[in-house]
Amino acid sequence: MALRGAVRRRIMIAVCAAALLGTGARVASAHAFPERAEPRVGAVVRGAPPVVRIWFDGELEPAFCQVVVSDGVGRRVDQGDARVDAGNRRLLQVSVPALQPGTYSVHWAVLSIDGHRTTGDYRFTVKGSE
Amino acid sequence: MTPRAWTLIAIGAIGDIGVGTGGGTPDRTLRTPCASRGRRSRKRAVWTGLAALVAIIGLATDPAGAHGIAGRRFFPATLAIEDPFVADELALPSFSYIKGPEGKETSIGGEFQKSITPNLGVSIGGEYVILDPAESEAGSTSGFANPEVGVKYTFFRSDAHETILTLAFDWEIGGVGKEAVGASSSSSVAPSLLFGQGLGDLPDALAFLRPLAVTGVFGAEIPFANDAAIALTYGIAIEYSLAYLQNVVRDVGLPRFVSQLVPVVELLFETPIEGEEKWKTTGTVNPGLIWAGKYVEVGVEAIIPINQRTGKDVGVRALLHFFLDDLWPTVFRPVFQ
Repeated sequence: MALRGAVRRRIMIAVCAAALLGTGARVASAHAFPERAEPRVGAVVRGAPPVVRIWFDGELEPAFCQVVVSDGVGRRVDQGDARVDAGNRRLLQVSVPALQPGTYSVHWAVLSIDGHRTTGDYRFTVKGSE
Repeated sequence: MTPRAWTLIAIGAIGDIGVGTGGGTPDRTLRTPCASRGRRSRKRAVWTGLAALVAIIGLATDPAGAHGIAGRRFFPATLAIEDPFVADELALPSFSYIKGPEGKETSIGGEFQKSITPNLGVSIGGEYVILDPAESEAGSTSGFANPEVGVKYTFFRSDAHETILTLAFDWEIGGVGKEAVGASSSSSVAPSLLFGQGLGDLPDALAFLRPLAVTGVFGAEIPFANDAAIALTYGIAIEYSLAYLQNVVRDVGLPRFVSQLVPVVELLFETPIEGEEKWKTTGTVNPGLIWAGKYVEVGVEAIIPINQRTGKDVGVRALLHFFLDDLWPTVFRPVFQ
């Protein structure tokens, strides 16, 4: 069905405006969501990892980011040194001691550099060496 | 630390700042003209309802939280059903095409939503409609439908349980659009309850179902015209978040682009409760796919009528959606924190 010329022009203007909005996306930072983690989400790993790392899809505000690792009964086991990597502000990490076999929970809360807050958690399992 | 972060601390907003997502333009393909009720009593009921809504807004506590997100759950904007989040966002354009008993209908629209507080927002939307009647002797016609303004208030949110409850009140401004495309010469209002619920609390045995979430609406469309019927509008959207699967349940190695997909099925119904069409439900089932990026969301769905009364051919619906508060966080944010 043919649209009238004026209507078509208005629609084109709207679509162009929408495209410009999309182009502007690159200048902002928006909410930070995880891209990957180490140990991986839901993974079963052999041997204890020395550090838990989460990579995000945006830069983080170091003063307001936290990550905590807990064991199966909710006891905190990380070293309390959660930090945003100085050389890569998309990387949040915390050291952990030699973990015993079991399932561990990772809870994180971050603030992106434009002030958007996100939170999340996941689990991984440490399997004993055989 | 950036000045923006210090500002946020100063105003105590760290717990409230949030993501942008939200509603596409609500489905307007199901309206069924019917018969009557006294206009004055209807208006009185509407204003009483509005007063009650304002009272609830005034009395309710102000829950902290982020729109579009409840805890670790990100809810994308749905295409057919209004979603329960207050946000700064722009749906432009939204598109739908369906062939019904009376002919083909094409709609191109848009909607802008603005947050006043983190839990209170307003919106304005409109659409251009092109009708191609089934009767061949009648020519096609096109024009703007009536514009619609709305207010939305989130009165409950549980981050731990991925739950959100919102009251919405929409007003279709009658007499503005073109009657030939179905725009009424009188106004109508639509109070509704919107909800969102993630299934993240499911037990470990059902871990792969945790990415599921449901959003929904239950409301009424109340026309002021004497010759139009009040109708109940209700529906749900069932969505499966691959990002939730990847980031919360199990990293299954999905590429980044794929992990941002959300398969969705929306079911939307309308049942007049008076007039000639009383209790004759119309509705559509809308399976589709949403891709939600950091700033933009794109969605497409099929429109499948549930009965002959609604239609017999499959239509299509699509949406381009912008998270304005992510695009320009210094401009598009709540007026009052």
